[in-house]
Amino acid sequence: MIHQGEITAPLLDVRNLRTEFATDGGTVRAVDDASFSIMPGERIAVVGESGSGKSAMAMSILRLLVYPGRVVAGDVLLEGTNIAQLSERQLNQLRGRSVGTVFQDPMSSLDPVMRISKQMTAPIMRNLGMNYKEAHAEAVEWLRKVGIPDPERRITAFPFEMSGGMRQRVMIAMALSCRPKLLIADEPTTALDVTIQAQIVEILKKLTSEANTAMMFITHDLGLVARLADKVAVMYAGRIVEFATVEEIFAAPCHPYTQSLLRTIPSPTALNTSRLPQIPGLPPDMKKAIQGCAFRERCRAATDICAREAPALTDRGASHVAACWQPEGLGSSPIDAQPDRALRRNDGPFRDRVIVEINNLNKHFVSSSFLSRTKRNVIRAVNGVSLRVRQGETLGIVGESGCGKSTLARLLLGLEKPSSGEIFTEGLTQMVFQDPASSFNPKMRIRSIIEEPLLVKRKGDWRTRQARVEELVKLVGLDEAHLDRFPGQLSGGQLQRIAVARALALEPSVVVADEPTSALDVSVRAQIINLLADLKQELGVAFVFISHDLLTVQYISDRIAVMYLGEVVEYGPADLVFNSPSHPYTKALIDAVPIPDPAREAKRASAVLKGELPSPLSEISGCTFATRCPLATEQCRTEKPKLRQHRKSREAACHYAK
Amino acid sequence: MLAYSLKKLLQLVVTTIGVVMLVFFAMRLIPGDAAAAMAGDTLSGAALERLRDQMGLNDPLLVQFWNFVRGLLVLDFGRTLTTNLPVSDLIRSAAPITLLIAIATIILAIAIAIPLGTVAAFMAHKGHKTLDNLITGLAMIIDLMPSFWTALVFLLIFSLTLGWFPASGPISWDDPYSIVMRLALPILVLSLSQVAILARMTRTAVLEVLSEDYVRTARAMGWSELRVLFRHALKNAALPIVTVVGLSFGNLLNGTIIVEAIFTIPGVGTVLINGINSRDYQLVQVLMIFYALLFVFINFATDILYRALDPRVKF
Repeated sequence: MIHQGEITAPLLDVRNLRTEFATDGGTVRAVDDASFSIMPGERIAVVGESGSGKSAMAMSILRLLVYPGRVVAGDVLLEGTNIAQLSERQLNQLRGRSVGTVFQDPMSSLDPVMRISKQMTAPIMRNLGMNYKEAHAEAVEWLRKVGIPDPERRITAFPFEMSGGMRQRVMIAMALSCRPKLLIADEPTTALDVTIQAQIVEILKKLTSEANTAMMFITHDLGLVARLADKVAVMYAGRIVEFATVEEIFAAPCHPYTQSLLRTIPSPTALNTSRLPQIPGLPPDMKKAIQGCAFRERCRAATDICAREAPALTDRGASHVAACWQPEGLGSSPIDAQPDRALRRNDGPFRDRVIVEINNLNKHFVSSSFLSRTKRNVIRAVNGVSLRVRQGETLGIVGESGCGKSTLARLLLGLEKPSSGEIFTEGLTQMVFQDPASSFNPKMRIRSIIEEPLLVKRKGDWRTRQARVEELVKLVGLDEAHLDRFPGQLSGGQLQRIAVARALALEPSVVVADEPTSALDVSVRAQIINLLADLKQELGVAFVFISHDLLTVQYISDRIAVMYLGEVVEYGPADLVFNSPSHPYTKALIDAVPIPDPAREAKRASAVLKGELPSPLSEISGCTFATRCPLATEQCRTEKPKLRQHRKSREAACHYAK
Repeated sequence: MLAYSLKKLLQLVVTTIGVVMLVFFAMRLIPGDAAAAMAGDTLSGAALERLRDQMGLNDPLLVQFWNFVRGLLVLDFGRTLTTNLPVSDLIRSAAPITLLIAIATIILAIAIAIPLGTVAAFMAHKGHKTLDNLITGLAMIIDLMPSFWTALVFLLIFSLTLGWFPASGPISWDDPYSIVMRLALPILVLSLSQVAILARMTRTAVLEVLSEDYVRTARAMGWSELRVLFRHALKNAALPIVTVVGLSFGNLLNGTIIVEAIFTIPGVGTVLINGINSRDYQLVQVLMIFYALLFVFINFATDILYRALDPRVKF
C-alpha cells in the first residue's frame, strides 16, 4: 500500500493559491483560491479568456510574477517541496531544472543579442554538470529533436535570424534540455500559424511522452485542448470553475461557462445553418470585488443563491469538479435569450451581381541592397490573383501569415497601388481592422468616430448626421449611451462593433474585415461573427473576411479563397472547400486545425505538413507549394499549375485536382 | 560587419566634406572684411588692398576654398591673423588638454551613472520606490543646475574657500600630479551634468528591458537576479545608453568651452574664445572644423559600437 501511495503522489500540488495585482484602480485578485494537482507525466490544459488568471496562475507557481503582482496566499508543492517557502537561491535551483517553461511569444522570449548556443549551453552546463563541449553536443541534439534542420550550423545563429516557429522550437529545446519533470507552457502556439502550430504540438506531445514529463499548458483554443490534454482546468474571473478529464469536459461539462464556451465554437463539419450561440455580456471587472458567482450575470440558470454566495468546487464524478450551484449547470437550455434565428446562406444559386472584380492582380515589392544595387529582391506579395465578390456574399480569405492576404486587403481599399492588374468595384469599400483598440483615436468620442466618414464625404447637415450615427450604433447592437464615451471606456468587443458601425456609415457595398475577431476573446468572438452575419442579411452588404482562423472563416463565409505565397490556390463554396478540399495545401491547412472534440482528435491521423513557408524572395518556377506538398511530382516542380475550374463552381491551382 | 563599417566610414567622409564646406562658406557670408578687421584703422587704400592680396582674399572663392582644403589635408592650417602663429601649433598644445577633459569626463560619468541608473531601475522593477525616487530626483536636480553655475560654486567652495584645488596656474605635461589637481574640478563639474542625463537614461533603458520576455525566460531558467541583470538586461540596455553617450558628447564639447573659460585652462575652448574675440576668422574656422570632426568621429565610433553590441543592426 505504501508503494502504491508513492506512485500516485502528485508531482505538483497547488493549494488555495491566491495572487493579487495592485493597480491604480484597486487590487485585482487575478487568481483566487486555486487548487489542483498534476500527476507525473500528465498533461493539464488551463483554459480561460484573457484576464481569467490563467497566466498569472502559471507564473505564480514558479514565482515568476513581477511587481505589482504577488502571491498572497497558498502553497505550491512540487514533489513535496513547498515552492512558496523556498529561498531565492533554492528557487533558482529548481527553476529550469525541475520545471521548464515555454512562453507565448517566441519573437521576444529569447535574448536578442545572445547566440542560441550560449543561451542553450549555459543552463545545461549548470544543471547537468557538463563541460562546454558536452553541453554543446547536448544542445545540438535537442535542436535536432525539436526538428531544427542543420542544427550544428543553426545553433550559432542569433534569434533574429530564425522564424517564429524555429524560435519556439529553440524555446522548447531549451526548456526540455535540462530534463524537467514539469513543463509549463503559456500559450505556446498562439503566435504561430496553424501548420506550424500542428508541428509544435506534435513535438511537445512526443518529447513529453518519451521522458514522462508532465505538462501544464495554457490556452484559449479548445481544439488544442482536445488534441493535447489529459485533464482540463477551466478558469473564469480568477477562479477554477471546472476541472475534469478532457473526455468529460467535452462530453459532459457541468459549469455553465464551460457549456457556453463549447457551444460558441463553430462546428467544423456541420453545415452551419443557424446562428452561432453567443454568451451574452462581458467578463466582470476584476478591479471590483465580486459578490457571489462571477459568471451569474451571463448565466441563464442563475438564481438567488448565485448572487449571494460564490459556489465552491464540488464533486461531479470520479475526477470531475465544478463550481456551480445548479446540479446540471445550464442543462439543455440555450445560453442566450436571442431567438434561434436561421442563418441564411448564399450557397445554392448565388446572387449573380458581381460588385468586386479582381483581374490578374499583382503587387510586387522591390528592394535593393546597399552594396549591390543591381541585385534586386522582388517580393511577390500578391501574384496573379483573380477573384470576384458578389452582392451580399461573404468571401473568406485564408492562408498563413505572409501569404499576401493583408496586402490584398490593402489593394482592395486602394491603400496600395497594384503593380499590375485591375480591380473593379461597384460602390464604396470600407474597412474593419484587427485591433479595435489601436484603430481609433483615443481622444475622440465614439460619436465623432462614427460621424467622421460622413464629415469627410460631406454627407448631410449636422442633424441628419447625428440621426445616422444613432441609427448606426443601434444597428451594431449598442445604444446611444455609448456615443459619448471614449474608446478607452469600451471593451474590445464593443469597440469592434463601433468599427463595424463606422465602416457602414457611408453605406458601402463591400466591407473588408482583416482579422476582425482574432484580438477578441472566445466568448465575445461569437457576438461579432453573428453581428456580421446579421448585417450581411439585413443590408445586403458584401464582406471580405480575412482570417487565419479556419473554423470562423468556414462558418461565416459563403465562398473561400485559399492563398499561398501571394496566389489563390483554391476557390469555391465554403462548406465544399472545407469538407472536400481539392488543393493539397487546403487539405493540409484543414488537417492542421485542432478540432474541439477529443474523440475525433484521437482518431485523426497526425499528418503534419512539413517545413515552413519558403522565403518570398525565392524564385519558384513550378508550383509554389511543391516544396512542402506530399504529392508533388516532377511536373509540379517544373510546370506552374493555373487556377482552373475542375468541378462545378470550384477552382484549384493543382495539376491533380479532380 | 565589414560592409557596415565601410558604409559608416563613407558616411563619415561625406559628412566631413559637408562640414568643411559649410564652415568655409558660412565664414565668407559673414559681413565685413577680414583684412580690414585685422588692420583696424592703421591701413587704408592701396595698403589694405595689398594685404587682401597677401591673404588671398582677392582670389576667386573656389581657389580660396581649394587652398583651404589643401591646407587641411597637409595639416597646415595657416597662421593666426592677430598673432601670426601657426594655427597647428595652437591646436597641438590645446587639443590634448581638451581631449583629456572630455574623455575623463565621459569615463567618470559612465562609471557613476550606469551603476546608479541600474540600481534605480532594479529597485523600481521590484517595487521599492524610495531609492529609485531618491536617485531619479537627485539626477533631476543636478540636471537643472547649469554647468557655468556649478563651475563657479565649485570654484568658490573647493578652490577659494577650502583651497583643495588650485584655481589657476600652468599646465605642464611633465607633472601628472599638477594636471590631476588642475583638471579635477572641471572634470567633476562637467561629469555631473553627464551623470544626470546618463543615469536617467540608463534607468529607463534597464527598466524597460527588465520587463522583456527574454528576461522572464532567463529567470525561468533559474538564473540569479544578478546574472539576469548583467548578462541579459544590461547588455540589451547598453544599446540606447551608447546612443545617448554619443549624442551627449556634443553637449560635453559645449561644456568644455565654458568650463575652460571659468577655470582658465588653455584648452581649445579658450583658444576659440580668444579667436572669436579678436575676429580671427582663420583660427575660428579651423577650430570649428576641429569640434565638428570630433563630434562626427564620436558618432562614427558610436555606430560601430552599436553594431558590435547588437547583431540585428542593419545599415
